[in-house]
Amino acid sequence: MTEFDPARDLAIERVIRAPRSAIWRAWTEPARMQKWWVPAPTIARVDRLEPRPGGAFVTSMSEDGRSFVPHTDSIFLFAEHESRLVFTNAVDSTWRPAAPAPVRMTAEITLAEHPEGTAYRALVRHGEPADRDRHEELGFFDGWGSVTGALAALVEGETS
Amino acid sequence: MANQSSVGDVFAALADPTRRAVIRQLGAGPASVGSLAEPFAITLPSFMKHVRVLESSGLIHTRKSGRVRTCTLDRDRLSLVDDWLAEQREVWEQRTDRLERFVTDPQHQEDR
Repeated sequence: MTEFDPARDLAIERVIRAPRSAIWRAWTEPARMQKWWVPAPTIARVDRLEPRPGGAFVTSMSEDGRSFVPHTDSIFLFAEHESRLVFTNAVDSTWRPAAPAPVRMTAEITLAEHPEGTAYRALVRHGEPADRDRHEELGFFDGWGSVTGALAALVEGETS
Repeated sequence: MANQSSVGDVFAALADPTRRAVIRQLGAGPASVGSLAEPFAITLPSFMKHVRVLESSGLIHTRKSGRVRTCTLDRDRLSLVDDWLAEQREVWEQRTDRLERFVTDPQHQEDR
């Protein structure tokens, strides 16, 4: 396993008061996943969710529920029932090498038994950002990605 | 306390187009609340709410002199937004919050 690099990687760890099976289902059943994958009012559609090595993980999102734009296009590297799920966007669902904006990442989701429920960890390892100047509108945050580019230019003293 | 607010507060402050416009305006230098409010078709009290959100996120500082309140951009604070790792952390923190809410909501956890 590769090292955790604090300059490029992030880890989120918490105890979730729910059984591992419930969290696993939320991660592996499209109807459940679309309930939490993107922030409301944006609507997520889980197009392909195949939690097995080489399986596709494809989601779209929509502001109005009618026109959908691509969101995630990645593959699973590893899946162990109710315990570990690893996927990356560095390779897309057709197994082509990809250069997603803003950054290539591998996410490792780990579920472990805990007296109060489940010890949940998301460990996200990043490559270098695809292009620091061109943040695409990801819709994660109401288009903050594109805002970030404009603001960065501003901070650097350029007129926008 | 502004310096105790999280990167999340900065993103939340920037989620609003009016507040983003104010930040852009302040990029050119400090300005009074009155002059900042001018381009917007909203009442001054509504505009002041935006100013307070920006101030509590630490993105701007305000200073009152007589009857004029002047706003200044905090560039260090704003540079947080350009930190892609902080941004990704925010994405995953919020995603984990939503997952947690979903799996602990009995309504969603029926067995079929």
